[in-house]
Amino acid sequence: MKLHPYTAVIRGLSRGASTGVVVAIFGSMSSGSMAAVGGTLVAVAVAALFGMGYEFLYYRRYDYELTTDSLDIASGVISRRVREIPLRRIQNVDVRQNPLHRLLGVAVLSIETAGGSSTEATLRYVSVDRARELQDALSEKSEHLTAVDAVGDDVEATAAGELLFELDRRELALTSALSIDPGVSAVGSFVALAFEGLLPRSAGIDPTRPIATIRGFAPIEIALGIAGVLAVAWLFSVVVVFNRYAGFRLRRVGDDLRYERGFLGSYTGTIPTDKVQTLTVTENPLKRRIGYATLSIETAGYAPGQSGGGAQTAIPIARRDRVMELVATIEGARIDETGFRRPPSRARRRYLVRYSLGIGVLAAVAFFADARTGAIGRWYLAFLGLGAVPIAAHLTWIHRGYQETDEHFVTRTGFWRRRTRIVPYDRIQTVVDRRTVFQRWRDLADVTADTASTSSLRGGDAVAIDVDADDADRLRSVLTRELLKRRGGSPSGDSIGEGSGADDRVGPQP
Amino acid sequence: MTEQNEERSGTDQQDDGPVTERDAESIGGARSLDPQVRLLWIGNSLVTAVFFGGLVGAASVLLLDWAAWPGAAAFVLLAVLGVVFAVLRYRIWTYEVRPEAVYIERGVLTRIRTIVPHVRIQHVDTQRGPLERALGLSRVVIYTAGSRQADVSIPGLHPDQATRLQNRLRDLAIESEGDDAV
Repeated sequence: MKLHPYTAVIRGLSRGASTGVVVAIFGSMSSGSMAAVGGTLVAVAVAALFGMGYEFLYYRRYDYELTTDSLDIASGVISRRVREIPLRRIQNVDVRQNPLHRLLGVAVLSIETAGGSSTEATLRYVSVDRARELQDALSEKSEHLTAVDAVGDDVEATAAGELLFELDRRELALTSALSIDPGVSAVGSFVALAFEGLLPRSAGIDPTRPIATIRGFAPIEIALGIAGVLAVAWLFSVVVVFNRYAGFRLRRVGDDLRYERGFLGSYTGTIPTDKVQTLTVTENPLKRRIGYATLSIETAGYAPGQSGGGAQTAIPIARRDRVMELVATIEGARIDETGFRRPPSRARRRYLVRYSLGIGVLAAVAFFADARTGAIGRWYLAFLGLGAVPIAAHLTWIHRGYQETDEHFVTRTGFWRRRTRIVPYDRIQTVVDRRTVFQRWRDLADVTADTASTSSLRGGDAVAIDVDADDADRLRSVLTRELLKRRGGSPSGDSIGEGSGADDRVGPQP
Repeated sequence: MTEQNEERSGTDQQDDGPVTERDAESIGGARSLDPQVRLLWIGNSLVTAVFFGGLVGAASVLLLDWAAWPGAAAFVLLAVLGVVFAVLRYRIWTYEVRPEAVYIERGVLTRIRTIVPHVRIQHVDTQRGPLERALGLSRVVIYTAGSRQADVSIPGLHPDQATRLQNRLRDLAIESEGDDAV
């Protein structure tokens, strides 16, 4: 199969433009004589043509084919590459369109597997219909290949699927207002700064005053200026985040989760349910207060460090009960809010000591800085921080815990960013028990359930922190036993019957 | 330490005599590393000690216009620490191939126990660095699909012992024919 014919045009134009710009920049560094300018223009035109020609060849030489058990892609203009992706190894399939693509009726289809250091395959571009077809076919085939023994289960699999979650208006508004996109707000603040630089002149306040210094401005002017910049940065972020998450819907199609979102652009993705590695619920104190939470669904699919990989399979902000309901539907995990086993209270003493030492270090730094420069003054005021230490220790302690449900290991930690990680036992790769000297002194241990999920590659594993030492020994063997119990003779068959009470999934009482 | 002794099921053998493949890396008994591995660790820490000792000495002479002895002191301190840690680390380091998983216990200050089920093994390497080759040692590295920190390596093995362990783990990984959970 060939890519969409527009491929040559879109890729050609953008490649032509980019090579042109590069040559133009090099050209502009040379002397400014007329001959040089003319030469540069010619070079730019040649580079642009060359780029377009290259992309035309790229289109000509790109070929993909969907066989019964793999997707084969042959590509490359100068060095050729033939890649075969076994369908049952496919993790996420994403279809992406920006407004221009929407206008032209094309889309970018990307396929993630667990291997490799980047997206396994990107079909740029195929027609929208073709993208949908492929998305369906890929998930359907990977299902048929893996779910040999789950025939009875996917009767209800229809094209539309079952709607699991839809972001309502309130949630969308909150998402737009509260999820700050750092990149976009940085752009926003630059724009705002540029405009503010112009404002005093245009308003005729004092055109002689230098813009680069803040000297000579009244404090109120500075405050207003900063507020203005922040407001513009925030507005930029609101618009972008709104555009990103508008129309967010998550549905279950057969054994896949499928989500769609986007206002101007459009983004859809599929996640096979049996590839879900970890569910993470994130809350900060504000969200906890108003009863909202963030959910991310992690697979092994996105390469570490890939921008936004995790965020794209996330439910940005939704009512907490709805998030927990969704967790129950997707993974069959019922989390008992009161069922978390907290670290023993000696762990709280540990945090007390730790934070007190932190304050001590702060005071020492202030003291020496004062002794050297005399600029600090009352350095001993740092000890006032000791008053907050018991509260901080308690908050740290009370938000830590773990629980074992029938099918999942659930850990929780963090006050400012409380993350509850839900790991199905059969996704655990290794079990690690870690005890520092201080932990051994207090008979505590950290138990890590390591998975192949993307965030675990960035150190975001499910860890039960400061568990009692004996309990850690028990937990270690429970986790190992549970993960071994669930390896079926049929590959992946064990995780298909999720929630349907398949008898090989009945775990012992924790 | 007591617990470790409990886990050892009596067959705490360290002999390197010719053993058949079955009982060499077969199931049962926590095993220590080859005592030679202490030399490897000491060698590594001596390299660090020389480096930092040199750094401290150079800083003391060149920057502070002082004597060179702080450098020597730093070297001695680090070297002694290195030796002590190597001895302790060797005492603590055990690994065991059980029917369902590889159990590893290690770490002087932070004690780490790792359980790698055979079903989750992706591939097994043997590696030999220059110092290891000089000492006649080899290491086995076990990879899973999980995070990089959880990949485990068993150092201080005789080359053929390492190869046997590698083969044994490969066989166990194949036998356990399960899901790799990815």
